[in-house]
Amino acid sequence: MSWLRRLRNLAGSNRHSADIGRELAFHLSERTDDLIARGMTPEAAAQEARRQFGNYGGQKERTRDAGVLTSLDTFVADLRYAIRALRHSRAFALIAILSLALGIGANTAIFTLIDAVMLRSLPVSHPEELVQVQTSDGGSDVTNPIWEAMRDRQSVFSGVFAYASNDRFNLTTGGEPRYANGDAVSGDFFRTLGVQPELGRLLSMTDDRSGCEPTAVLSDAFWRSVYGADQNVVGKTISLDSHLVRIVGVSQAGFNGLDVGKSAQVFVPLCADPVLTARADLLTNRSEWFLTMIGRRKDGLSSERVQAGLRLIAPAVFAATVPDGASADRQTTYMAQGFATAPVGTGMSALRQQYSGALLALMGIVALVLLIACANVANLLLARAASRQRELAIRVALGSARGRLIRQLLTESVLISAIGAAIGLLFARWGCRLLVAFLSTADKPIYLDLSVDRRVLGFNIAVAVLTGLGFGLGPALRAARVDPNAALKSNGRGTIHGQRRWTVGKALVVAQIAISLTLVVGAGLLVGTFRRLATVDPGFAPDGVMLVRAELPPGSPDGASKLAAQTDVLRRLRAVPGVTSASLSVLTPLTRAGWNGELDVDGYVPRSRKDAIAFFNETTSGYFQTLGTPLLAGRDFESGDRIGSPKVAIVNVALGLRFFSTPNPVGRVLRVKQGKRTGDPVTIVGVVKDAKYNSLRAPAPPTVYLATSQDTAVGTSLNAELRVTGGVSSIVPDVKAVLADVSPRVTVTFMPFATQLNDSIKRERLLATLSGFFGALALLLAMLGLYGVMAYNVARRRNEIGIRMALGAAQQRVAGMVLGEVATMLVVGLLLGGALTVGATRLIKAFLFGMGATDPATFGGAIALLAAVGLIAAYLPARRAAGVDPMQALRDE
Amino acid sequence: MPKSRNDILQGTLSLLVLKTLAARGSLHGYAITSHIQTVSADMLRVEEGSLYPAMHRMEQDGLLRAEWGTTEKNRQARFYSLTAKGRKQLAQEEESWARLTEGVRRVLRYA
Repeated sequence: MSWLRRLRNLAGSNRHSADIGRELAFHLSERTDDLIARGMTPEAAAQEARRQFGNYGGQKERTRDAGVLTSLDTFVADLRYAIRALRHSRAFALIAILSLALGIGANTAIFTLIDAVMLRSLPVSHPEELVQVQTSDGGSDVTNPIWEAMRDRQSVFSGVFAYASNDRFNLTTGGEPRYANGDAVSGDFFRTLGVQPELGRLLSMTDDRSGCEPTAVLSDAFWRSVYGADQNVVGKTISLDSHLVRIVGVSQAGFNGLDVGKSAQVFVPLCADPVLTARADLLTNRSEWFLTMIGRRKDGLSSERVQAGLRLIAPAVFAATVPDGASADRQTTYMAQGFATAPVGTGMSALRQQYSGALLALMGIVALVLLIACANVANLLLARAASRQRELAIRVALGSARGRLIRQLLTESVLISAIGAAIGLLFARWGCRLLVAFLSTADKPIYLDLSVDRRVLGFNIAVAVLTGLGFGLGPALRAARVDPNAALKSNGRGTIHGQRRWTVGKALVVAQIAISLTLVVGAGLLVGTFRRLATVDPGFAPDGVMLVRAELPPGSPDGASKLAAQTDVLRRLRAVPGVTSASLSVLTPLTRAGWNGELDVDGYVPRSRKDAIAFFNETTSGYFQTLGTPLLAGRDFESGDRIGSPKVAIVNVALGLRFFSTPNPVGRVLRVKQGKRTGDPVTIVGVVKDAKYNSLRAPAPPTVYLATSQDTAVGTSLNAELRVTGGVSSIVPDVKAVLADVSPRVTVTFMPFATQLNDSIKRERLLATLSGFFGALALLLAMLGLYGVMAYNVARRRNEIGIRMALGAAQQRVAGMVLGEVATMLVVGLLLGGALTVGATRLIKAFLFGMGATDPATFGGAIALLAAVGLIAAYLPARRAAGVDPMQALRDE
Repeated sequence: MPKSRNDILQGTLSLLVLKTLAARGSLHGYAITSHIQTVSADMLRVEEGSLYPAMHRMEQDGLLRAEWGTTEKNRQARFYSLTAKGRKQLAQEEESWARLTEGVRRVLRYA
């Protein structure tokens, strides 16, 4: 009695459905009474009354007068039906849900990362009001004198602060180091951000006075993980690089500093930084660019007004902070610069700079994968709709509205995508963690808030609904167009309609092939890039080399005893069993650390300042032998290169070619510019092969290696390189013992050189791995799609094939017919895909190394691969077609 | 679907209900069907499946008012009566019906 339900819902908003039931029951009993009065038996009367009442059960449903409640009611009914229908075809449901779960999961995972890295606002009050103040000369960092001059003159911010975020404090005193990320913050940091204390108090202006006693605020996460949320933590001390610092409070939960991807765990006042980092002149030095300045715009002040206000004070600020010893030219450009501003609502992030491009590229890739998955599911639905033709025809014949039928089918497809999205959300959680773990390195762990926020959930749901409608609408419309007469008569095996229906299926397969080509070519390019980077000659032999970094305790010895100590350490390291050669250096290759300066060479006139720049390192003898960089001419450093003896250097071939126009400038002289002065002459005593400096991508820059033994400057850390026979880790205990012997408070970290090298191409590895994975997935889905369409097609055309064979067609001819169809789809798909790919790969050009965006070999390989996969997918259906027994096929008819 | 012989012409049902209530005051649904059937000498039969949805729609539109009451047989029934708006609607519908039948009459006579 569907009209009854409709009626109930129609009035539902102001009347209770029981009311209607009573009214209708009354009507029924009146009618029964009447019928009895006319002489019917009570039973017959009741039956007759009910019969008249139920007369409208088959009446066409007029959904247009349905209220909201009716829709809901229908929806629940549709949902029940959909669940039942999916249960009946488990294989279909499983494949559809799984491929969507993969597609949606991948999209959600990448989006979660994009959200965490690029979109999420800082957990502070009104983050949109925060503005970073940079110098217009390009540097985002400023010196402490600039910060103080700016702070004292500005009038556009309601609060302003500076902080240094690259501090890493060792929490242990001696032995294996444990690190905490630290932010050194100026007094107004917490007040300006509007961060509240979780416990105790936060740092304020009174904590940040020059020469202050160090105090510390812990982040909530750090407090919970390291102190087990100890309520009595305030007043306790924490050891930061061997300084005992009093803890004054814990900051608000969820606040981990301003740098996305790196969580600040300890906050100390900026004034304590010189003590903690053992650099006494850190705050007075006008060449220490290490602070980030951020201000909160005063109420209602536009960013133009802020910029205007800063423009006003810039000349005075820069005039007061000219770096010492700057050349006249440099002074002029320094004083002429201004301030630039940048919004910081979503936080600051080196991670973002490094990965946002890669993440967007990955987002594009996974979106394409999802498209392919959708096409596959749409194809499955089409096939299913064809096999459900009878069911749908019967429903139409029984009076079901086509609109209802479409809604029913859409409910089914949205249900599939919703389940897929739910599973995809789980995949995404898991995938995100995996990705972050993949990107984290031992010494640079990445912290990201990967919780599912409203944006991620919204994205997930939107993708689910869109895909559900996207792949479901076409098949649903097509299925609902069923003609009950034809469908029922043709015994569920459409012959005339078959041809038309499958053009849509074929078009979907063609689209899949096209998109797959794009993904496979993209994967080929990215994998090729990675392979080239991994196999590029770095100029050293990283295998079997262990890098050791030792952090020396503060209060190091003077220059002379430093040199003596170094010689001693080196001697003892070389004596460790298993070590075949050892050296010390200031820098190790392929980190982000670098050291460059201008050279002055007689007879070389640089065309620009950039042409005068060379890169430096400082090493002991044995460095090149240890790292495996061949010495091409001249000699290594030796014991005769001492303080007081003529200064010597070893250079690489690139330097010789640039500055001396010869690959072998041994015996020639160069000078290093230091500000206005030009340093002492340095004689080149050796030439080494070009070796990579910061990055495997860039060609080796002109490099100068100076001798450690001629430098008395005292550093706080020491890098040692050890070439080891056997496993690189075998020497760890012995080396620790040697260094502990030198100073019990030294802390040591070990890093195999090969790992450092691999870490430097992590982004490329990530892109190669993921694009390769998704490319393979795309290929698999496209293969399934092609196979599905052809297998179905052959099954449907069994009669036709039987007739052909009965009329004399050979098996090869029948198989050829199937293969020909596949070949046509492949050719069309590959042509379309080629055009699409040429457009798409230009977007990833920036990631490529050693190959163009239209690398012919990659294109050719991808096309061949797809063609091969396509023909493999067609093989079974073709064989099945050839194996049709005409007698059998025709008998079935 | 074949229409039943005495199916009431679409759109006239509300006119009949309004007229019946105008003539007889407050009535329950069953009495309305009986009335229409009797007065039309069994030529018109109101189907329950159309009557109740129509009356509820008219109630929602403010043309009818409904209250629970007790019948002479002591049964609970819902009694419908006209509102002022219903009366106005009746006048309009009567007029348009008259125009329609006049038009049809003319066509039948002269065409």
